[in-house]
Amino acid sequence: MAQRPATERLRRLLIILPWLMERGEVSVDEVAERFSVGVDDLIRDLELVSMCGLPPYVDEMIDVFIDEGMIFVGIPRLFTRPLRLSEVEAFELLAAGRAAMQLPGADLDGALAKGLGKIAMGLGEDDTGLLVVAPTPAIVEKLSQAIENRERVEVRYQSSKDVAPTDRLLEPFVVFSSQGNWYTHAHDVGAEGLRTFRIDRIESLTVIGQAENEAPDSMPEPGIWFADAEIERVTLRVAPRGRWIYERYPVDEVSSPDADGWVEVRLAVTSRQWLERLLLRLGDAVEVVDPSSMRVVRSEAAARVLGCYSVKG
Amino acid sequence: MADRVERLTNLLALLLETRRPLTLHEIASELEGQYPDAGQARRAAFERDKAALREIGVEISTETFGGDRAGEMGYRIERSSFELPDLGLTDDEVRALQVALAATRPDSAIGEEALLKLGGVGGGVGGPIRMHLPELPALPIFRSAVAQRHPVSFRYSGNVRKVEPWGLLLRDGFWYVVGFDQDRGARRTFRVDRCEGEVAIDSAIVFERPADGDVGAALPTNPLLLGDEFAAEREAVVHIAARRAWLVEREIGSERILVRHDDGSITIRLPFTNEDALRSWVLGFLDDAELLEPGDVRERLIEWLRAAV
Repeated sequence: MAQRPATERLRRLLIILPWLMERGEVSVDEVAERFSVGVDDLIRDLELVSMCGLPPYVDEMIDVFIDEGMIFVGIPRLFTRPLRLSEVEAFELLAAGRAAMQLPGADLDGALAKGLGKIAMGLGEDDTGLLVVAPTPAIVEKLSQAIENRERVEVRYQSSKDVAPTDRLLEPFVVFSSQGNWYTHAHDVGAEGLRTFRIDRIESLTVIGQAENEAPDSMPEPGIWFADAEIERVTLRVAPRGRWIYERYPVDEVSSPDADGWVEVRLAVTSRQWLERLLLRLGDAVEVVDPSSMRVVRSEAAARVLGCYSVKG
Repeated sequence: MADRVERLTNLLALLLETRRPLTLHEIASELEGQYPDAGQARRAAFERDKAALREIGVEISTETFGGDRAGEMGYRIERSSFELPDLGLTDDEVRALQVALAATRPDSAIGEEALLKLGGVGGGVGGPIRMHLPELPALPIFRSAVAQRHPVSFRYSGNVRKVEPWGLLLRDGFWYVVGFDQDRGARRTFRVDRCEGEVAIDSAIVFERPADGDVGAALPTNPLLLGDEFAAEREAVVHIAARRAWLVEREIGSERILVRHDDGSITIRLPFTNEDALRSWVLGFLDDAELLEPGDVRERLIEWLRAAV
């Protein structure tokens, strides 16, 4: 088996050692599991550092001893505290915390708020400059309530392919926002399966009883719920000013830019209307490459919309 | 050759324990037999170790000696810059951070590592409501610059911008950095995902954030007002078909409805500064929306559609 890089092993050790020292006596298995290291790797690295040290303190600096599956730690001298948080780790914690504080139901004086305050103080920095603004639609709160209570709801939903809203029975499992839009993964009673719905397309929501279906073990990852191979794909050539397409929507792939900065993007097209909207809004900043049958979509849509303006195309 | 982890650990121990900066010669003689004897190979090995330690977040402070050792470099590690101070977090608070990470950055290895340092564990699942945060390498750098009030420079739309960053803002799924653009002498907002290449921090300078440097107010909530900060605000009138009326009313609010027609359709008024954003918004409704006013914008929209036919 390939040796893990020295930096990774040392970084892990510098987290494990202070934790061990606080406890004095822990089983090898518990440590291996908690810190996601293999038992053999853990034993080897702990035995290695127990030999480290400087004269005249060799063998005393890091006083670790393993016997019969247990780790014993003597009087600590070095590495009693973990390494300070890196820039990246500090950002990760603060951004995650601030974002979670914006979610409905967050307790403004709760444990999370207090913890974030202590971290900011510990960093010794003015941390007022990190802000998360995430207005949550009222439907999000209603859905999350239905999830907590394991309820079945009826929604009026405007899908991107239907001309008018339809009523659907849903048993929601998760509500989430991704790339600025809110979605829910729910069991669609009519379709008998897990589906993803956009919250801003739910016109109204009524609780109508208890849910009957269990949440699946895993939910689709963000961006993956369009991975369904049955959904038609289209390849577009997009100018730099149209790049919000691939910043905003999940795409299968984006080519590297050509000399003028245009890229080819392959993405899932959930309905013809959706593609029409995209093409009309982008104008000459986008071209349909493939399939060729889609190349007429823009001109047909433009002619139809022009009809509203009582002028001839 | 000894395991590299052993040498790195010994080097860490030595530089943490020493009361005065040590020269490379002193380091090599303390860690006897662990560094090559030849000067150049020894220097190269030491530089590699320094880089490895920096990679895991350990900064070795360097100072240049004076007097009879003038020009020689001394090295040590400040305990205060090495160790995480005791933040006094309770178990509940660490768990709340874990839930927050699970709800916003599931599977983040960095978040898990941070939690382990705080005495918690990674993993777990978020509650029923989650918000997936985009990940961008420039974000931690911008946050540090904001917190320490250092100017930054980065490439944006092909130009180098020098900015005093007042804050970072996540809205509608995008991160923005808001600050004072030194070359343009005015407040500007930049999309972080559009910053090109590396972000450089000028840590020699500490700027003052103005009292009115309110980051939250930097972006108008109405996207039709975004993008063109200096254009005068105008008002559009749009007719919306019945089947989209509820969507629009919820988006813009009832107070913007001018007329409710008998067939269920509505006529609305919308403030805008950015004509491109307005056109894009109207076209998003396809044949369910018609832009009535202003006349000149309507004319240009018709031209836009004709070009597409």
